[in-house]
Amino acid sequence: MEGPKIIFTIPLLGGIPVTETVVNSWFIILAVFIACRLITRRLQKVPSGVQVLAEKYVTMVCKLVDDTMGKNKQRYAPYIGTVFLFSALGSLISLLGCRAVTADLNTTLSWALVTFVMTQWGGIRTKGLLSWLKGFLDPVPVMLPMNIMSELVNPISLSFRHFGNISAGMVITMLIYSGLAALTNIVFQGLLPVPIFQLGLPAILSIYFDVFSGVLQAFIFCMLTMVFVGMATDP
Amino acid sequence: MEGNTNFVSIDWTLLFQWGNLLILYLIVKHFLFSPIQKMIAQRQNEVKAIYDDAEKAQQDAMQMKEEYTRHLENAKDEANEILKNANKKAVLRSEEIIREAQEKAQNIVSRADVQIEMEKRRAFEEVKKDISDIALLAASKVVERELSSEEHQKLIGEFIDHVGDC
Repeated sequence: MEGPKIIFTIPLLGGIPVTETVVNSWFIILAVFIACRLITRRLQKVPSGVQVLAEKYVTMVCKLVDDTMGKNKQRYAPYIGTVFLFSALGSLISLLGCRAVTADLNTTLSWALVTFVMTQWGGIRTKGLLSWLKGFLDPVPVMLPMNIMSELVNPISLSFRHFGNISAGMVITMLIYSGLAALTNIVFQGLLPVPIFQLGLPAILSIYFDVFSGVLQAFIFCMLTMVFVGMATDP
Repeated sequence: MEGNTNFVSIDWTLLFQWGNLLILYLIVKHFLFSPIQKMIAQRQNEVKAIYDDAEKAQQDAMQMKEEYTRHLENAKDEANEILKNANKKAVLRSEEIIREAQEKAQNIVSRADVQIEMEKRRAFEEVKKDISDIALLAASKVVERELSSEEHQKLIGEFIDHVGDC
């Protein structure tokens, strides 16, 4: 199984490869930018059409942040909304035949590291450096290595969960495609140039692996980010 | 350098994805969350203002109604007061008029009495004088002589006085 294709290389520092993941992310950014500009350029007092959806999305994210993280944490809402959009669209882009952005460990790890930094930085800012450090000795000082480990493991588990789910879906879909191609070959003895059995079944499986799994993983990632940061910044 | 990266690897893409996340964050924050939250807040304020206005208008109306009711009651009381005063004044005035009229009538009557008395006296004097003259004349005719005028006049005057007393 191969990783994302290298689209081009920036001739700096011995060549920086720009992969499919990055280029697909740019498509997502462009699409989100255009959609946001179109929706919010002329906002109406009485909303209609797509503005209702955008407002619903914003209020839903804000409410989720409010419910999960607690009061006075609204400044995290745009970030959560961003990660959800990026993650969901990054997985759903596979429906267009592109490689899912989230099927690359770099993507999910970069987000998980942001969550990690936000969690620790939020903890230091809310509790103060000393009591934040003392928090690692709770409930008994023996727990120090465990506590440090559990904090360090968070970004790894966050990123690998997301990456694993999406890439596994991709791999399974690919296996099914090649399996169905082989089945077509066997049944028609190589007389049919079109792998006809690939019609139908992958579409049904795609509802689970691409749509459901993608949105669910986006939701889980956002939820866990909110819980971690919310817990760390609880006074 | 064409080809593929490894299926599980950590490379430059991590940095690119940080950059992409930051760009998308700025876009979502400035072009989605900010304007929509602003719009929602604006709408909330507007609705709140409308409700506040309605409440205030209702309060004003209630206050006005109360005021008018009070004014109406006051006006009724005032009208009653005015009517009562007018009645009292009218009664007083009529009594005064009657009293004045009575006084005037009394004056007229008493003046008339005085005048009558005076007239009576003057008439009496005149009659007395006439009678004494006639008596004197008659007596002089009877006696055929001249009487002492003064003495007789006095005598006759006394007589007439007696007559007047009767």
